[in-house]
Amino acid sequence: MRLRERFIPWLLLAPALAVLAVLFGTSIVYGVAQSLGYLTFIGQRTLTFAAYERILIGPSPIATEFWSSLGFSLWVSAASTLLAAAGALGVAVVATGRREAGPTGIFLLHLNLAVPHLVWAIALSLFLAQSGLLARIAAALGWIATPADFPVLVRDRYGVGIILDYVTKEIPFLTLILLAILRSQPRTYNVIAENLGATAWQRLRYVTFPLVRPGLLAGSLLVFAFIFGAYEVPAILGVRFPRTVAALALDFFLNPDLQQRAEGMAISVIMAMVVVVVAVGGYWLNERQTR
Amino acid sequence: MFYRTLRPFFLLFIGAILAACAATPNPNPAETSSATTDTLVAGDPASFTTAEWESVLDAARGQTVNWYIWGGSETINAFVDTFYGQPLQEQYGITLKRVPLNDTVDAVNQVLSEKEAGQDPGQVDLIWINGENFASLKQADMLYSGWTRALPNSALVDWDNPAVNLDFGEPTADMESPWSSAQFQFIYDSARMDAETLPRSYADLKTWACENPGRFTYIAPGPGAFQGTRFVKGALFELSGGAEQWLNFDQTLWEQWSPPLWTYFNEIKPCLWRAGETYPKDENELHSLFANQEVDFSITQAIAGAGPLIEQGLVPETARAFVFDDYMIGDFNYVAIPKNAPNKAAALVLANLILDPTLQAAQILPQNGFGLGFGIDVTKATDPEAQTALENAAAQLGDSATPAADLASSLVGDSAAPYQALVEEGWRANVLVQP
Repeated sequence: MRLRERFIPWLLLAPALAVLAVLFGTSIVYGVAQSLGYLTFIGQRTLTFAAYERILIGPSPIATEFWSSLGFSLWVSAASTLLAAAGALGVAVVATGRREAGPTGIFLLHLNLAVPHLVWAIALSLFLAQSGLLARIAAALGWIATPADFPVLVRDRYGVGIILDYVTKEIPFLTLILLAILRSQPRTYNVIAENLGATAWQRLRYVTFPLVRPGLLAGSLLVFAFIFGAYEVPAILGVRFPRTVAALALDFFLNPDLQQRAEGMAISVIMAMVVVVVAVGGYWLNERQTR
Repeated sequence: MFYRTLRPFFLLFIGAILAACAATPNPNPAETSSATTDTLVAGDPASFTTAEWESVLDAARGQTVNWYIWGGSETINAFVDTFYGQPLQEQYGITLKRVPLNDTVDAVNQVLSEKEAGQDPGQVDLIWINGENFASLKQADMLYSGWTRALPNSALVDWDNPAVNLDFGEPTADMESPWSSAQFQFIYDSARMDAETLPRSYADLKTWACENPGRFTYIAPGPGAFQGTRFVKGALFELSGGAEQWLNFDQTLWEQWSPPLWTYFNEIKPCLWRAGETYPKDENELHSLFANQEVDFSITQAIAGAGPLIEQGLVPETARAFVFDDYMIGDFNYVAIPKNAPNKAAALVLANLILDPTLQAAQILPQNGFGLGFGIDVTKATDPEAQTALENAAAQLGDSATPAADLASSLVGDSAAPYQALVEEGWRANVLVQP
């Protein structure tokens, strides 16, 4: 009886799992095989770690570029995720606080969820570029001499434009998750805490935050993994050096020298492993704190 | 606890995947099929031999040719459908199926996937291709070869010209037939600048850029951004005093001239747009910077100059093309047939039609939508009607094109293939990454 109970959830999930396993499983296996040098279309069938060596250690300029790309990607993903999470928490708390947000408020907040990331990136570039709308308005108002004097916010070396894009897109997304959690909690917790003399900050830290932490963590991990592997926004709002790891991997994959696909796949595999490590680390952190 | 129950499923799944991978595709299936289509088999309407053009025409009648070409220009699409689609149907009974691509590398990937899956015949009959994509398919041994000289109109092509028989330095080896030509040019806005103040050499450019800081930039050289590589190569030719010496690969020559090349670009860097911190990654980005008046120059490869870009609304109407006095690299682009093409005869007829003098005359006119240059050598046309058509077309290119005499006097060929990667990687390591 108990065995069957344990099996039933898996059976119910089986169709979805089968699709995922076949599509993603085969891609992952092919990706790993190609990263190990198994490139059948040029007749190469030996397995070797040469691609990994060239990227991680090799004396070639590829190695230095890989590490700087990895650092840049981690910086952009971490900064965007943390800022988006903090922003979402703030917005969610205000939206469920004393002056509660009505349905129109929530609708406006979530309006840009419907805008694709690519379109949002182009919009930001049109607004914030040095020949963009804000630059021309500022020059017309006399705040700066020419539009070219506008501060560099997109296509800059620190990824400010990319971070801005992701923060503005992910705050509504994470707020959605947090609101769902906060609204399902009874209000009495906050009222009791306030009665007992807790300040707003203490309420946030000791009452609200522990309630939303699991959801916030899951959402943040999603956002981190998404940003870490994204290509189109850094392609539009980023610079040629340093590039994100996704752009680097694609560059290798599309290289006319077909040998370089092994390097492209190796970078993709490393990206997947980084995300897995971060996810495991996040869950471990969560487990440790709730024990 | 649940890992134990799940283990057999995992093992089964991994086993199934490995079994699928282990099944190796039929080695060289393309070899066997091209052998049967390329020799006449009595009674088989689909067989032909390239030695007898009549057999090709007969085999092609009723076929559909799947032509995979870059589909990013509405005007080029319309040109292809009208100028090639109609004659193919009316004169040869062939249906043209134009398959638009976002990027030619997609067709390359398709052919490679078909090879990996052992799929023969495949889907692709003809590809508009050159440069790195051609090199990829050649490296993968997936191109039908031995047909280009058998086309009747191939007599009009100047095969001895290294710009024709070398594609980004890689020998074409009878695997691709020319379609049109292109030459590197710059674009300026005649409403903002006078033609007399234009720089006419890389040395002039450095002076101009430093007198007008932040008003010039170029496309970052890299795979897929060959216009940037071409720009840097032009500087290499000028610094080393000649382009012919670069036709064959010579490592010592590279080691002698690459340091001055990187010095040039590092010296010009502070005067560039955004102080050389970043560069546009492709032509579209540069055109939009130019149109937004963030920089004063853009580039183009079309023989019709800025005309096609003006028609598409990408640059202002006052844009004009110009060239330096020398070292503007020109080359050809081609059509190639994959080894596993299903309708080879129809593809051959189309490749031959492309070289027809009347159609070549039509393709250079910007109003027809194509705007690239001749693929044939106009001096080889013997038919007087064809000669008139070609001459008239050349005279009608319009104001936004560079004068043909300037183009001809500044034309040089591309360098040997290994230099492409050296220039791109060297630029990244020595110019882009340097503070």
